[in-house]
Amino acid sequence: MGVEQSPAWQALQVHCDSGMGSAHLSALFNEVSRTEQFSLELEDLYVDFSKNRINEQTLSLLVDLAEQQKLPTAIQALLTGEKVNDTEGRPALHTALRADGQAVSGEAAKVQPEVEQALQKMAVMADKIRAKHWRGYSGKPITDVVNIGVGGSDLGPLMITHSLQTIDSPVNLHFISSIDGTQTSNLLKSLKQETTLFILASKSFTTIDTLSNAETAKDWLQECIEDDAVIYAQHFIGVSTKPDKMTEWGIPPENQLLFWDWVGGRYSLWSAIGLPIALKIGMPRFRELLQGAHIMDQHFATAPLAKNIPVVLGLIDVWNVNFLNIHDKAILPYDARLKYIPSYLEQLVMESNGKSVAKSGEKVAYRTCPVLWGEVGPNAQHAFYQLLHQGTQAVMCDFIAPVERDDIDEGSQSERNESLRHQHQLAMANCFAQSRVLMLGDDAIPDALKSAFDSPFKHYPGNQPSNTILMKTISPKTLGMLIALYEHKTYVEGVIWDINSFDQWGVELGKLIAKEAYSAIKDRTLAEGFDSSTKALIDRVAK
Amino acid sequence: MKVSVFGCELSGLVTAGLLAHTGNEVMALPVGNVKVDDLEKGILPRQEPGLDQLIANQYQEGRLTFEADWQAGIVHGNVYILSMPSWRADRAERVIEEIGKTARKDVVVVNQSTFPVGTADRFQASIKLAFAQRGLVAKAAVVSMPEFISEGSAINDFSKPSRVILGSSDQDAIRLLRDLMRPFNHVTDQVKIMSTRAAEYTKYAVNALLATRISLVNELANNAEHYNIDIEEVRQGLGSDSRIGFSYLFPGCGFGGPNFAADVETLVGSLQSKGYDADLLKVVLENNEIQKEVLFRKAWRFFKNDLRGLKIAVWGLSFKPNTATVDNSPSVKTIEALVAQGAEVVAYDPKAGPAFAAYWGEKPGVTLVDNMYDALQHVDALMILTEWRRFWSPDYDRMFELMNRPVIFDGRNIYEHSVLAEHGFRYFAIGRGEVI
Repeated sequence: MGVEQSPAWQALQVHCDSGMGSAHLSALFNEVSRTEQFSLELEDLYVDFSKNRINEQTLSLLVDLAEQQKLPTAIQALLTGEKVNDTEGRPALHTALRADGQAVSGEAAKVQPEVEQALQKMAVMADKIRAKHWRGYSGKPITDVVNIGVGGSDLGPLMITHSLQTIDSPVNLHFISSIDGTQTSNLLKSLKQETTLFILASKSFTTIDTLSNAETAKDWLQECIEDDAVIYAQHFIGVSTKPDKMTEWGIPPENQLLFWDWVGGRYSLWSAIGLPIALKIGMPRFRELLQGAHIMDQHFATAPLAKNIPVVLGLIDVWNVNFLNIHDKAILPYDARLKYIPSYLEQLVMESNGKSVAKSGEKVAYRTCPVLWGEVGPNAQHAFYQLLHQGTQAVMCDFIAPVERDDIDEGSQSERNESLRHQHQLAMANCFAQSRVLMLGDDAIPDALKSAFDSPFKHYPGNQPSNTILMKTISPKTLGMLIALYEHKTYVEGVIWDINSFDQWGVELGKLIAKEAYSAIKDRTLAEGFDSSTKALIDRVAK
Repeated sequence: MKVSVFGCELSGLVTAGLLAHTGNEVMALPVGNVKVDDLEKGILPRQEPGLDQLIANQYQEGRLTFEADWQAGIVHGNVYILSMPSWRADRAERVIEEIGKTARKDVVVVNQSTFPVGTADRFQASIKLAFAQRGLVAKAAVVSMPEFISEGSAINDFSKPSRVILGSSDQDAIRLLRDLMRPFNHVTDQVKIMSTRAAEYTKYAVNALLATRISLVNELANNAEHYNIDIEEVRQGLGSDSRIGFSYLFPGCGFGGPNFAADVETLVGSLQSKGYDADLLKVVLENNEIQKEVLFRKAWRFFKNDLRGLKIAVWGLSFKPNTATVDNSPSVKTIEALVAQGAEVVAYDPKAGPAFAAYWGEKPGVTLVDNMYDALQHVDALMILTEWRRFWSPDYDRMFELMNRPVIFDGRNIYEHSVLAEHGFRYFAIGRGEVI
């Protein structure tokens, strides 16, 4: 029996059909205490989910669903290191990476010594590079570090370092991911071999995207460095779960940082994959990031379901997707520092839950992961918000914003500070205005202006649900909390939908066929077995 | 004349001592951490050839006194001299405030310190304003008289100046200062009168030009190596061109010291903060920082990128000979780099050992010795970072015996490659010696 036939699900369906499904947010907000009732706060994070089409009973029925799906047991299974990734037969212990030996049990406790050991090796490297004591072949200190990685080995460090751009870094960081050579070739033009260090970040150390970029980097270094041993010793660091493969590629053991197969790629920024973050902000502040995530882990482990932020947000997504038929989600950060949050969450959420087979192996009879996309909010206002306000589909939105900027000197009246303060307030005003209009539609129009909007083209239906997440500031700690929140929320949805959030079989076949297609581009006779469309495309590229 | 000198660092003490020596009644007032008791006992904050003697003599003869109370200085002097490090304009500011509040007659203030352009004008306006607020009818002139003394030859530089620059439009003040400097301006008239701002800017311009010249010569030397050219031959060809001349034409492992680079940096900083261009000077300073590690880089390449467990001797810690100062010295960067790579350093300097020890603290990796040859026991290489006279003609055979590997990295080009090769040494220098 699928979850859609279960009593708790059916109860929600009845609740939906008997009025909630057609309720308008504008009407729901006639209740005075709604915001108090539908918001939660944890240290530096405030989460307002009151602009959703829910009432007290909805939430209570959703919690019933969670209990029916044994969510509390599933949370414990995740945190103690049971093999929640059943198709690959392993745990998903990213929470163990940030526990610092605190409040862990089971497998999560067992791995603590090796986690700490890896962090310490990472600290030694980060300190050396930050102190300008890591030298290139000529003896000059490294000034530029290039992270070569893709997916989880790219997006996490890229998103966090970009978010923390106001923290001064002693080295310049660059990211190369795409398999085509454009990023690499453009970047290398502006760098010098003697002062550049590459991080090869690949969980399997077989990722063709990363290894092809690494070969290009090595060729570039060989233009100046005769001795390959010097190239590997001074210009490459490897981060992987596969020490043998790193050694085979040429990276000496002292330049290898390890993590483990129980860390999913999209959950790996907390491991040595986070080296670029440690280089940018220093190891003590990297540990603040881990501590922030650990605060959320503890909350997830101990808070009652109805007051548990990741649980509540996950359940509301399920309500929106499966009962209100909202199949799109927009991530809208209101600070340009958070520009890469949407791309990061696209991977985290859609690679985790973009699945249609239940754990039993049966095809599911209900919708799972929504399509998720996003952009820095103020920019998106000039792009796709038109669709949010007047398009034909319903979209749920997450607004994310910092309450204050921590790069403003309090008390300083300098022009830079004044402009930052002023522009921050403008951005917040826009953030709050958009979620208000999306919710209320025409009801947000002030009475005095109603006549000016008297046209079918100026009609705002409203009723688009949204969450607003306020971070005290953008800091390592708040980012740790925010990302851990989304990780756990994603898991909650996976548990309700009865799917495995930790595998990604969907990406495997494409890699295999790419190898065949590559052979066919090299040797056109091999394209014979392909369909006519693919064959014609190959013919246009093959030389 | 009665002179009050505010600031008892090197420049202040040289000024006070020499003005007392020519018959003035000089009161020297420390501004900052220097203590009157120490000065009276002859304990000076800076080591400088001849300075101990000069100060002791003048103090004994009674023409030089030390005083902690600024009020006494303000009452004492007909002329007030400000002599502070370039980054301590805040201290001068306090003296100026005090003068404005308490002086009872016309004042002439001479600023010798290298403060940003416009400082003297600002000080003058501030005293005048304070006088006006007090209803005091008195004149106030702040004259810029930049000092051009170098550590190691400071007394000679002050007493036989190549020029004395007086920046002021106040004729009375200029007459007074001409008279004060007359004993040092006896053979030919070296006094140049100009506007206050031009005088301040001249000091910066001189440093900027010299720094640029050294950095350019270093770059020429580094590149000469790539062509297997001995930069010493090129230096002869360059210097003999009358448009160029020989001074400040020695390549080396970078310039340092407490003032020179800091002054240029101040200039670059103040220009850039106003949005003006200082691109060339910025590069000059950056290149100099890179040049300070040139010997480290040669060793890094010579030892195939692995210095772990090596023992390296360093001769010379001070930023130049005849001084005990290690501020911004190439030795600091070089030794930090060596130790960070796991090498062990044994260092000798005739005077700067204590200053380096104070800087280095309790960190491991460096041993200081009292004899230049003691530094060479079982070392894998010797680095020369300061051209103290005693390093120029050492006992090569003894060195060869002592050293584990006969390898010399010479940051001051004081040896001949062919001679060292005869004695069995590998020799690497700046723009000469073996190429690596």
